[in-house]
Amino acid sequence: MPDTRATLEAVSDEALARRIAGGQAGSTDAEEAELYRRFAPRVRLYGRRHLRNDAAADDLAQDVLLLTFERLRASDVRQPEQIGSFILGTSRMMAVGERRLARRREALAARFMDTPAAIAPSPTTALDAPRVAACLRALAERDRLVVMLTFYADREAPRIAADLGISPGAVRVIRHRAMARLRDCVLGGERR
Amino acid sequence: MTASGCERIALADLTDYAAGELSQTEAAAIEEHLFACAGCAVRAAEFNALVRAIRPAVHTAEVGGFVTDELLNQLSREGVRVRTFALSPGTVVPCAVWEGDELMALRLRGDFAGAGEFTLLQRVGGTEVSRVRGEVTAGEHDEVIFAIPASWVRQLPIVDIDVLLTAHEGGVERPVGRYTLVHAGSLAR
Repeated sequence: MPDTRATLEAVSDEALARRIAGGQAGSTDAEEAELYRRFAPRVRLYGRRHLRNDAAADDLAQDVLLLTFERLRASDVRQPEQIGSFILGTSRMMAVGERRLARRREALAARFMDTPAAIAPSPTTALDAPRVAACLRALAERDRLVVMLTFYADREAPRIAADLGISPGAVRVIRHRAMARLRDCVLGGERR
Repeated sequence: MTASGCERIALADLTDYAAGELSQTEAAAIEEHLFACAGCAVRAAEFNALVRAIRPAVHTAEVGGFVTDELLNQLSREGVRVRTFALSPGTVVPCAVWEGDELMALRLRGDFAGAGEFTLLQRVGGTEVSRVRGEVTAGEHDEVIFAIPASWVRQLPIVDIDVLLTAHEGGVERPVGRYTLVHAGSLAR
């Protein structure tokens, strides 16, 4: 009888990887789903940082985990006890390829399109936008501006600093404080 | 940074990581830790969800407050319909909010004389409805930009909206200007 989600939660990453490696395709769906649940958020975070695009980060997470399952079944993962390192390495490799592809797309868009494509909000955001908007409103004016310029307008600290007439170090301090407050507001202060 | 061993990664590190402002070495150290530590990975995933939620939240045009040209430009590029009013002190202008408008941007001009902190008070029909104090830098056109959700203005009756801007310099308050929007209700094409 296959393991339930609850029992799989207690299984180590290494054991999940070994089960997938030792199973036939289709017979380890629960183990693959559990490994995906554990690592896809990490790949998404990695993808957002390196690809600067949430949709591309979602795609990267899917591609990386699918490739990981294939490599496990093909016995190409030599150290299942290091499955996290393998997934990180695969993320790095695939992100490089995605960046190259994105640059080609941008070059083509610059040549053949009059205006850049609008950036659609990610459809996969789990948090409630009105609640986050309310928490953004509750921030101090400068804190909110720094957060919005960083994570909405994608500006880095030196540029924000120049716009706001403060130092890049001050921007970082404000951003740390603001994100802590925003997190506490959105998540109800349940996290440290 | 606290990414070594099994110590928790600090929120400040996650913030800098998400903002893309860590060195390659620092970012790689965080990544190595996250892919090995389930506990930190859960916290990082929560934080990532928060970061990702900022864009759609701002896109709702319900945030408002002091903004910059860069933010307004980004909102416009992403399809948010912004109606702009350029106002000098003492100005009284008709406030036309059309049904498709999502955000009203008030470009408040005046003599800022290097002030970096302001209070913006809004009165509707003579009654104070909000008071916002914040550290803001006047832009190159000697103006500060204040954004108001159009949905809020649209639900108002026919009424005057007064905006009073005060500068704070060294503990002294100085009026910058009073700007009046004569709201004539929501307009449809």
